[in-house]
Amino acid sequence: MPLTLLALWQIACTSGFFPPQVLVPPSGVLSELLALGRSGELQRHVGESLGRLGVGFVIGALVGLAVGAALALSRWTEAALSPLFLGLWQVPVIAFVPMLVMFLGIEERFKITVVAVAAFFPVALATFDAVRGVPRAWLEVSKVYRLTLPQLIRRILIPATIPAILTGLRVAITRAWLVLVAVELLAADSGIGQMMEMGRQLFRIDTVLAGVVVSGLIGFALDAGARAIERRATRWKSA
Amino acid sequence: MSAASSPKSVRIAVGLLAPVLLLAWWQLQATAGDARSLAFAPLGSVGAAFVEQVESGALVFDAVATLSRSLFGLIIGGGIGIALGVATGLSRPLDRLLGPLLHGVRQVPLMGWLPLLGLWIGAGEGSQLVIVCLSAFFPAMLNTHAGVANVETRLLEVGRIYGFTPLQRFRRILLPAAMPMILTGLTQALAFTWIAAIGTEILLGTGGGLGVTLQNAQMQQRMDLILVTILVTAVIGFAVNQLFLALRHHLLRWQPKSL
Repeated sequence: MPLTLLALWQIACTSGFFPPQVLVPPSGVLSELLALGRSGELQRHVGESLGRLGVGFVIGALVGLAVGAALALSRWTEAALSPLFLGLWQVPVIAFVPMLVMFLGIEERFKITVVAVAAFFPVALATFDAVRGVPRAWLEVSKVYRLTLPQLIRRILIPATIPAILTGLRVAITRAWLVLVAVELLAADSGIGQMMEMGRQLFRIDTVLAGVVVSGLIGFALDAGARAIERRATRWKSA
Repeated sequence: MSAASSPKSVRIAVGLLAPVLLLAWWQLQATAGDARSLAFAPLGSVGAAFVEQVESGALVFDAVATLSRSLFGLIIGGGIGIALGVATGLSRPLDRLLGPLLHGVRQVPLMGWLPLLGLWIGAGEGSQLVIVCLSAFFPAMLNTHAGVANVETRLLEVGRIYGFTPLQRFRRILLPAAMPMILTGLTQALAFTWIAAIGTEILLGTGGGLGVTLQNAQMQQRMDLILVTILVTAVIGFAVNQLFLALRHHLLRWQPKSL
């Protein structure tokens, strides 16, 4: 079925129904992708984007895990931080962009911060819910066995919370990717978003479409990869 | 003594501590007088900016522009999404035909369509509206599809016994049964259109709206204006969401409470 679609697209273009300024055929997009790959430009843009995504995601996810767990485990932390947390959560991450630009400029640390912020909230919320969802009885058992805090975390909290936290991490990485592409459109000298924006300014519809395809493939791969990890990690549950 | 057993007022006071400390730190940075003060607007000027924005009517204008953009996206994008969700939920061939295309389109980060749309219809109001519609379309379609495709067969069998026409079957069985999922889709769609409207406003900076003001304020280095606008964004987003949840509750009042 997707093949039929591609064929239709190709035919629509080669028959002259769409002039090449409006839509280039799939073959045109493919040859542009190959050209970008040969010149190493594609690898550079994708590498830059994924690097930002990786660093920002790790930072945001780690802070999210820590904050989510702290909010869930200590009532005082929850009372102290949750109003601030819930208030900030009402604001779309992208609305923080102009403010972060003023603080951090438009260089790497700005982009990494935006990714980290985007990843932070889903992870923190998922961790909070997951830790709160651990049955009280399990914690009581840990008290009976006099588990130390590291033991408690390793033996009970991690196994009990991993499925929900992995879901949170998956949501976080797909959101982070969305937001990263958006800020790369706004301000960057490299990255897949910038590649598309440059293509637009140069009226290169093939470059823009190549960027659309690549960013879609990366988004798909991130989501599919995260789902595969989720399935592997939760296999014991169904057994 | 644990927080759970302490009086509510203590908990609220504790909860206010972090925001107050944050504001105090902010004010300290703002009045430090060196290069930092540029980014950290003093709280007094944030208040002044708020009053200024309200009095000039700019705040209301922006809020209405962004809200009407989201609402447009919700109605058009969400409407098409529900229609296609019903159609693909009822017809397997149509689902097979459209599924791959729609899922392909869905993989692309939403704002990633902006450069392409910019080439096609210009980087202006049109592109903004298409993105906002697209942001509402997918949650509406996917949830409606799931709701319609998973209607319990015993309900459909009852319809067959009563000799319902296809139209009756749709109105009396499919629509009510899928309604919770449709409303879930619309609630998600609403949140997404709000984000997409502000996002496209920031990225394109045209047509007025809260995002445009944010972007302009950043160019003019007006942190006070940025803070006011973010605050308004948060309040409106929260209020609209609550309103919608109340509406959902009202529409689904026939459902058992457990759902």
